[in-house]
Amino acid sequence: MNHDGMAGYGEDRQAGRPAGLRSAEALRDTMGAYYRTLGEGSGGRPPVAWCSSVGPVELLRALGFAVFFPENHAAMLGAARSANRYMPLAHAQGYSQDVCSYLTSDIGAYLAGETPLSAFGLTSVPRADVLVFNTNQCRDVRDWFEWYGRRWDAPVIGVRSPRSIEQVTDGDVDAVAKQIEALIPTLEAVAGERLDGSRLALAVAAARECSDLWGACLGTAAARPAPLTFFDGTIHMGPAVVLRGMEEACAYYRTLLAELQQRVVEGVAAVPGESLRLYWDGMPVWGRLRALATTFAEFRTSVVASTYCNSWIFSDLDAGDPIRSMARASLNLFIARSEAPKEQYIERMAGQFGVDGLIFHDCRTCPNNSNTRYAMPQRLSSRLGLPSLVLDGDVNDLRCYSDEQGRTNIEGFVEQLADARAARRQAVGG
Amino acid sequence: MSTTWGTARPPADAGVIAAGVDAGTECVKAVIVSAEGRLLGRAVVPARGYFQACVYEVLVAALDEAQRAEGELAGIGATGFAMDCVPGATLTATEAACHALGAFHHVGERMTLVNIGGRDPHLIQVDTDGRRVEARNVRRCAVGVGSFLMFTARHLDVIPTRLQELASAAERPAAVSSYCSVFSATGILERLREGSTREEIALGCMHSIAERIVELGGFEDPVYVCGGVVEYFPGVMRALETLSGKVVRPIPDPIFTGALGAALKVLQTPQEA
Repeated sequence: MNHDGMAGYGEDRQAGRPAGLRSAEALRDTMGAYYRTLGEGSGGRPPVAWCSSVGPVELLRALGFAVFFPENHAAMLGAARSANRYMPLAHAQGYSQDVCSYLTSDIGAYLAGETPLSAFGLTSVPRADVLVFNTNQCRDVRDWFEWYGRRWDAPVIGVRSPRSIEQVTDGDVDAVAKQIEALIPTLEAVAGERLDGSRLALAVAAARECSDLWGACLGTAAARPAPLTFFDGTIHMGPAVVLRGMEEACAYYRTLLAELQQRVVEGVAAVPGESLRLYWDGMPVWGRLRALATTFAEFRTSVVASTYCNSWIFSDLDAGDPIRSMARASLNLFIARSEAPKEQYIERMAGQFGVDGLIFHDCRTCPNNSNTRYAMPQRLSSRLGLPSLVLDGDVNDLRCYSDEQGRTNIEGFVEQLADARAARRQAVGG
Repeated sequence: MSTTWGTARPPADAGVIAAGVDAGTECVKAVIVSAEGRLLGRAVVPARGYFQACVYEVLVAALDEAQRAEGELAGIGATGFAMDCVPGATLTATEAACHALGAFHHVGERMTLVNIGGRDPHLIQVDTDGRRVEARNVRRCAVGVGSFLMFTARHLDVIPTRLQELASAAERPAAVSSYCSVFSATGILERLREGSTREEIALGCMHSIAERIVELGGFEDPVYVCGGVVEYFPGVMRALETLSGKVVRPIPDPIFTGALGAALKVLQTPQEA
């Protein structure tokens, strides 16, 4: 069947299946080993710190904590499509359907006494001895941690970050660095040891190396065809999230980078027959990752870059100035910035990866990671001459995502891009 | 070509014809079109039961009106919500592309086209070649226009096609929310309880739909409308004019625009030897 206007797009829905990465096995081993350490018996187990995903993890590494990232746990609930079973339990406790569905699905799963970590020998999320947040991404992480803090009578401490920052100033960095330093006495008390400056420098150096390697992996998608997609990235970013500051993460990304570079040399495409290239802004729809990856692949469209996967690249980290560089990295984060620097960032990415269009995910319960609500897609489309599509959905709450609407919108968008390209070629040729 | 509807190539002395099917959420539409783009036959049935059965019924009726046989079809173009349920389709294309082409066939100029079907209204920018260059859909909460009108008709105690008649008799619209189809439906009951007339509420519903579309922006002259809602509820078009401040004109046979575009796409596609 010819799908009109799309020059063969979707003509064989099996043919465009995305190609898997061999490194997936090493990824499973790396992540599995990490999860199993969280379940080690209390005898001899280091104290457990919960940390928000872009929180001051390097400090926790230096003090010997086992670090657990509840956002990673919530993403597992989303990817397993079990989140909607748990969210009502948190709603019944007074947490609105409109607040972060990571928060509601994670708390709901705890109340239900269930966790996907059972596959790694854990019966529950690891009980925290201290919970450390950074509000550079949102207030929800703090509210989330405070629920557990009340339940376990554990200290909840963190950084209350400025947001919507135009230019990161030395004053901003000083203020956040002071807040990071203020965490140290509580963390030392819980850890039962003093912070060793050299260990902190080592943790920051390892986090920077992980960050650089992850950035290099994502950067390979600038090649044509791209060797990995955004959907691959959301899976392979696991070590950058949960093992940042550890050699295990660096080791994994060396393996992944070698495979991706080999793919580039051999011209292996993540999306066979890649014809169109897109940028994704916003959160993934975890419960529809595979479905969306397959839909785009059917249309020979590769989502080659994203804000989300790149959010774990912290190029400001500097072992020579650990705490101030941690502060600067947390402030320079995309989500903490105002509209103008965000737009400049996406503009740079669109150019670097040579995209044909922009997709913005309007994530119902994550307004802080939805850049659709103050006309950014319209401004960028107009300035860059790139069409954009806004997809309504949610990170975990699948009630907010319509498969039919999503597919119809993607199909129409890809068709529009293909038509526009054909018209341009015709004009040039004619 | 091999389809459910026939396998024969048209006789040498008969003109080439093609069928277009728009399998929508509220209605399934079919047209038969000549190679010159002349509309030879058309039919519409409400969507109920299996889409395949509706498609069969509507295609047979359209062929009957055209006085042509299944075997003469050069191809069947399919579009709409259930385009994958059109047996024997030789081509599928998105609603935006088909409505753009169908409307352009009538109008022959670049335009802003508003397609208001039973599911989600679209605002489509059509270029000077009849191609859609941009399409915008309403927010997720504002979809389900057909179901909303059905609900309204039930609570105003009229058959759906009489809503327009009621609306025409109203002096002013009752306030009916446009944010969410469910809120809008509840709002109708509230207006009834408060004493609004059925006529005012019917007109309020037309305005509710128009508001969802106007907030999409991008109304550049000339503005045309098509789709089943316009066919049966021209009050929506007038509400669009009021709210957008633009002259809004209907595409002829607005409910068949998508099916027409699908058939024209078949005719534009090079035929197999």
